[in-house]
Amino acid sequence: MFEMRGIEKRFNAVIALDGASLSLSPGEVLALLGSNGSGKSTMIKVLAGLVAPNQGEIILDGQPVSINSGYESRKLGIATAFQDLSLIPTMSVMDNIMLGREPVNSVGIVNRKGAIQEVRELLERFEIQCEPDAYVQTLTPSTQTMLEVAKAVALKPRLLLLDEVTAALHYDEIEVLFRIMRELKDEGVAMIYVTHRMDEIFKICDTANIMRGGKTMTQSPINELDLDEVVFHMTGMRPEAAKKSETEDSFSEEGRELILDVSHLEMLPKVRDISMKAFKGEIIGIGGLQGQGQSEFIRLVLGAEKIEDGSIEFCGEKVSFASPAEAVKKGLGFISGERNRDAIFHLRSVEENLTTGLVAKGNLASFLSPAKLASFSKKAVERYNIVLESIKNPASTLSGGNQQKLVVARWIAMDPILLLLDDPTKGVDIVARQEIHKILRECADEGMTIIISSSESDELLTIADRIYVFFDGQVSDMLEGANKTSERLVASMMGLSKTMATEEA
Amino acid sequence: MVQTHSVKKMTFLQKVNGFIQKSPARMAIIIATLLYGITVAMVPTALNLSAITSIIMLTLLLSFASAGQTIVLIAGGMDFTVGAVMSAGAIITTAIMNGQDGNFVKTLVVVLLSSAGIGLLNGICTVKIGLPAMIVTMAISNVVNRLTYVLTDGSPLGYASPAFIKSVTSKILGFVPSLALYGLVIFPIVFYLLYFSRLGKQVYLVGNNDNAARLNGINTSKVKILTYVISATLSGFTGMLGAGYMQSAKCQMFDGYAFNSLIAVIVGGTALSGGVGTYTGSIAGALLMVVLTNMLTALSLSQPVRNIAMGIVMISLLILYNREKSVRQ
Repeated sequence: MFEMRGIEKRFNAVIALDGASLSLSPGEVLALLGSNGSGKSTMIKVLAGLVAPNQGEIILDGQPVSINSGYESRKLGIATAFQDLSLIPTMSVMDNIMLGREPVNSVGIVNRKGAIQEVRELLERFEIQCEPDAYVQTLTPSTQTMLEVAKAVALKPRLLLLDEVTAALHYDEIEVLFRIMRELKDEGVAMIYVTHRMDEIFKICDTANIMRGGKTMTQSPINELDLDEVVFHMTGMRPEAAKKSETEDSFSEEGRELILDVSHLEMLPKVRDISMKAFKGEIIGIGGLQGQGQSEFIRLVLGAEKIEDGSIEFCGEKVSFASPAEAVKKGLGFISGERNRDAIFHLRSVEENLTTGLVAKGNLASFLSPAKLASFSKKAVERYNIVLESIKNPASTLSGGNQQKLVVARWIAMDPILLLLDDPTKGVDIVARQEIHKILRECADEGMTIIISSSESDELLTIADRIYVFFDGQVSDMLEGANKTSERLVASMMGLSKTMATEEA
Repeated sequence: MVQTHSVKKMTFLQKVNGFIQKSPARMAIIIATLLYGITVAMVPTALNLSAITSIIMLTLLLSFASAGQTIVLIAGGMDFTVGAVMSAGAIITTAIMNGQDGNFVKTLVVVLLSSAGIGLLNGICTVKIGLPAMIVTMAISNVVNRLTYVLTDGSPLGYASPAFIKSVTSKILGFVPSLALYGLVIFPIVFYLLYFSRLGKQVYLVGNNDNAARLNGINTSKVKILTYVISATLSGFTGMLGAGYMQSAKCQMFDGYAFNSLIAVIVGGTALSGGVGTYTGSIAGALLMVVLTNMLTALSLSQPVRNIAMGIVMISLLILYNREKSVRQ
């Protein structure tokens, strides 16, 4: 019924899709799998009419079609539930669901009663506990996600696209979702299901389409695949290491000073249960697919988010920072990879950007000597090799890599006890990245404890002494010593080591 | 031909923009000088010592009133209570002094404390409750104004003390009002706060990127609340000085200062979106505002026509500034 062939998409020099293909018949649930950047989302966006492919054809009922806008996609009977939601927060639940297809009478007046009735039935079917006139922004993230799916289903599509919707859902909600998917399947609706959770695909999907680097590696019935096979197609590597016994012998806690001891940290839905230890002079890596709770965990430690359950001990003292300001006072530092949003003061000078640490800590009325600030930042520029025209120019005049070095330098110059880095080399070129790694290693050797989260496996394997792998808000594995292999990292990023353990048990 | 003409025009505009971008303060002073020149050319009697004294006096008052506004705006907020707090400060001053010498310290303490209280209220409502600064401060400004009516039955009593009046309105070298001596206290404090203290540095960072400032360990709520407290305290003190200048007080006598201080600050190059600005610029902006008002008065235009002219000039200036901003972002 439905087919995509030889789809190519280039964003300038980046090739997102390179001859990808898939096919689907009515009532089929297709799992679209692949690691970060493999092109899954781009495929979904092509179907949703958000991305125009450079090449390739889309065939519906034997007829080639072109999808140039969201509207055209809808008209062909395609509905999409997006990962980052397409709801309008300031509108009510009902208005969101009925958006663009409000039932009207002959003179064009909206029939609210009819709409409310329809919306109530829909909410009931999805077991969503809310009033049709509640504002979307007042709902919890997981309810919003359910609503996003409900909105797509309400369009009565022939093809339903679900882009990582379960990432933000609770277990009971996932059950509801699966029930509805089975109902839709019986009605003959075809579905494309994108997820990082391997156990789900075996529960609900008929076929799996696995992508890597913009290419479709295979499409085959799910019962002909097993986990190893899936991971092999996704990564090109056999996850053998995952089956090794979990010996953690090479690491000894004795004689080392415990800096951070986190136990059973919880902030639903992103952080479910995370425990972690970090010792003096260690570089701890946090790995995992995107959105498994890494950023939230780091922000919890920093006091930028509120802890729901669990405890944090810092330097042997139980702490619960109410704000980053408190954490910084105690000797924490934080470097974010989202530099525009979280780190750079683009209107202010390079010098002011470098000296934020000095500026943040201390008495508000006290005098900050311009000469001291200047020499502080001059030293940082020299030590970290930041390329710039003038230290008085706005930070926005620096290149991306140099801006990131600036942010790293800012904190390292403050000599924190514990430095937290959230994907610090995102979008940074390889040279600047290596320089940042070198700086971090030097600091760790001097006794700084560093926790670095990264979306890139290679980076973690290069820099980290131990790697905690996050999956679904929990630690799925801890890698160190001989276990620190890319196969094992990949397997645990998919949550496989846990699945394995439960299967064997 | 037409094309080359338009290209030339573009580059001229760009030049003007570039110049403003570099130093809005200098630009404001140049425009102010030009306007005064035009005024004198059209109405030669406008050139006299007492007119100059009055321009200096009003510029000083407006630049004192703009000091807090500058700090609030740089931190990304807005303070519309400047006028109401000034009026209240003036009313408190005349009421306590009551035409008698010797109550200066008592007056000062009461004025500073009560205005700081209003600033604290502004800060808490905008920052902690998260309401838009413009709405909150306008509402509080109304409350303060109505309160002055209620407490004084609409006609405030008393006069500023003779010694205090003298300390504000005496002339140094024959034309500089002695109010300038207060400037010797206020200007250094503001310059210190904004450019050399830790608070000032934090104000710029918070205004530029609130989220980054918070994650870098700055207590952004505290900083923002403090800017409102500083602004209100300075406004209250300016109101007290204003009472010395006017000798007696009336309800809502300084209402215009809320809007004028905002315009002076923006004309002086402070970004409405926060993160950028200088107090020097605001002082120059205050001068421009006063000279412009003086010109419209000297031309003996009627009040409505003056308001219209003022509005047109302000809008033209703001267009120039906004253009610079959109180019940057």
